[in-house]
Amino acid sequence: MTDIPKRHALQVMLAATLGLAMAGLTPAAGWADETYPTRPITLLIGYAAGGQTDLVGRGVARVLSNELGVPVNVVNRPGSGGLVATQVLQRAQPDGYTVLLQGHSVINADPFLVAQADFKPDDFEYAGMITAFQLSLATQKDAPFDTIAEFVEWARDNPGFTYGSLSPLARLYMEEIAEAEGLQANILPLQGGGDMINALLGRQVVLAWSGGIHYRYPDELKSIATTTTYQRTTLILPKGTPRPILERLSDALATAQDDEDFKRVTDSADVPIFYMNLDEAAEEVRHSYAANMEIFEAAGIESR
Amino acid sequence: MEHLIAGFANVLTPATLIWVAIGVGLGYTLGAMPGLGKATGVAIAIPLTFYLEPVVAIATLIGIAKGSTAGSAVSAILLNTPGEPSSAATALDGYPLARQGKAQKALKMALFASVIGDFLATLLLIALAAPLAAYALLIGPVELCAILFFSLTFIGGLAGGSMIKGLIAGALGVFFATVGLELETFIPRMTFGALELDEGISLIPMAIGMLAVAEMAVQAGKMRELDSAAAGIADGSDPDDRRVTSSDWRRCLPAIGRGTAIGSVVGILPGLGASVGSFFSYGVTQRLSKTPEAYGTGMLEGVAASESADNAVVPSSFVPLFALGIPGSVVAAILIAALIMHGLTPGPRMFTQQPQMVADIYAAMLAASLIMLGIGLVGQKFFALVIRVPMRLIIPVVLFLCCIGAYMDSNSIFSIYVMLFFAVLGYFSRKLGFSFVTFLIGFVIGPNLELTFRQSLQILNHDPTRLAGHPVAVAFLVLTVLTVVGIAFSNSRRAVRESLAARAATSNPRKLEEEPR
Repeated sequence: MTDIPKRHALQVMLAATLGLAMAGLTPAAGWADETYPTRPITLLIGYAAGGQTDLVGRGVARVLSNELGVPVNVVNRPGSGGLVATQVLQRAQPDGYTVLLQGHSVINADPFLVAQADFKPDDFEYAGMITAFQLSLATQKDAPFDTIAEFVEWARDNPGFTYGSLSPLARLYMEEIAEAEGLQANILPLQGGGDMINALLGRQVVLAWSGGIHYRYPDELKSIATTTTYQRTTLILPKGTPRPILERLSDALATAQDDEDFKRVTDSADVPIFYMNLDEAAEEVRHSYAANMEIFEAAGIESR
Repeated sequence: MEHLIAGFANVLTPATLIWVAIGVGLGYTLGAMPGLGKATGVAIAIPLTFYLEPVVAIATLIGIAKGSTAGSAVSAILLNTPGEPSSAATALDGYPLARQGKAQKALKMALFASVIGDFLATLLLIALAAPLAAYALLIGPVELCAILFFSLTFIGGLAGGSMIKGLIAGALGVFFATVGLELETFIPRMTFGALELDEGISLIPMAIGMLAVAEMAVQAGKMRELDSAAAGIADGSDPDDRRVTSSDWRRCLPAIGRGTAIGSVVGILPGLGASVGSFFSYGVTQRLSKTPEAYGTGMLEGVAASESADNAVVPSSFVPLFALGIPGSVVAAILIAALIMHGLTPGPRMFTQQPQMVADIYAAMLAASLIMLGIGLVGQKFFALVIRVPMRLIIPVVLFLCCIGAYMDSNSIFSIYVMLFFAVLGYFSRKLGFSFVTFLIGFVIGPNLELTFRQSLQILNHDPTRLAGHPVAVAFLVLTVLTVVGIAFSNSRRAVRESLAARAATSNPRKLEEEPR
């Protein structure tokens, strides 16, 4: 092997080209929308893997992937009940390649509770809603209470009990109950429904708000109360995403209604499918935001 | 099992195989170049895989890790300069073989040993990870917190010469992980008003800076020495010197078997690293030999023992990552970012939620082993040339790729600033002997450590006596204390032994860096 510098330079170039080939194959961000989508889409989920939103999200990802013909990667960005993921989305490129699937309370309720989260309905675009779910207070099957009233009785005799919280809203419910009834609660921060199920089954918490994932464990867990309002799982995009992209996603999402596999997934968490297209979704977010503002103001709850 | 068969069907497509081959080839080339290890290669390549399908992307990255582990034997044998510290044991007998004109034989045996070790250890990963994951669901926040605490101390104690420095580096890693939005209250911490820091410091620019840019700065400082170390080696005239004969196989197979077993066990334990595996395997083979005095003069078994163990460590170090979500090595820590980015959260739920994707990755890993055999055999002459490329040409190319990689992480120039910041930190941690391995692992487990600690406080009702109800956690806390005491005692002895081994491994001036496993 003799030393020929020119040949060596060529070989380095070759090695470097291997690396650059990976970068070179990629279209620039903000590519023309007529061809959307041309590369994998990132679907953000605001909770850790294993919960109801994650479950529905993975079902939606599969449907979207089938319809759009590109991979849809589910990426869990847990934190503050979806607020962290929402902020990540807000700062993403409005090119349709980063989307968030999240209950719309992250926009219509959380901003009233968390000062740092100043989201408004108009800060985002919406490509539709797919499921509607109610929150239930879940506990172990053998817990010595079956209603909220019985729970409060029990909690008075058991100060320092542990309650699992997935979101600012869940935290607020317990703080309000505890303050009104003089209870002493340890609020355990959880990152997703999977963690919550583990905490319930492992008896680390006595109670937690669940989006429905606990219905998968009918022999071990029960509900003692259910909210009357619905949360809607919404496909949210960054402000400024072109309308043709939203329409493409909205149409693709609609096919989930008739998808057998998707129905099986939602049934397992007792979540009804309730599709809304992009315009109905945007209207629902605005309407519920205005309604909640009145409620929170009337109740004198301030964000912090 | 049916998932695995379907996995092979999914993976054995031309497009996937080409990407895996590119990954292995790139890794092999990087591994062959002194100073460019697997962690560096994977860190630079992660952003470049954004646009690939998840399984293809992960397989490409794992291909780089596997390829560079095998490739580092090339420079160990030809230049007596291991491409990675873990191949230092390979140089002990590989370089004398090359001087005797048997370079090709040594290179081929190194490759065969690497492939066998790698393939068998991948099978072990497939067999062990899922059953272990089933137990992981029994572990609650209190137990997890104790286990994370234990792993960090264990890794901090083992990586690098000084335990105090290792623990300081780990604590700094945890500290940098606290930057960004606080997860429960949504309040930014230590961001100094910089919106880019709200989501925390991104692992990829950090890892590229600490591993690649800092290493290039160190290498640039000794460019002349490295360039002058390249020496011509002629091939022998006997054709048997250029191939592995059946008698060679008979001699080396037991060494490969032992090496694979040792490497697999070492890989599963967090923090031990590929260097420990290869030196341990080399030592055992030498001790069991009838002619231990001949080692160091060109024994093919030495090459086989070291390389099989070295490569077996890589897949088996993914066992704790896949089963529990706990990274036991730098490559595993960097892969967490890649896995999450491509939609797969490492940990016990991965097996129940996405069994097919896991099986696809397994199939791709097995395919990567076999591809490595092909690429190694075809490309060894080429790789032998690559390592002679002068450092002054390599460094600018690598720095360029680093900038691209960091930029692509967020499409913002801020990522390049982050990279530069951690390049400076990485440079000084190398110069001052602080372990960047512990730092990175501390950074990766930091958020989980914080969360589980806070959860533990709530679950225990802020009452330490309630720990009695968590025997597993107590056991790990006791283990942590024992580890600290034990390592503190043995560390001074270990430092002496390692400096001796390093001196024996490299007679040329290149300093043996600490293990970037």
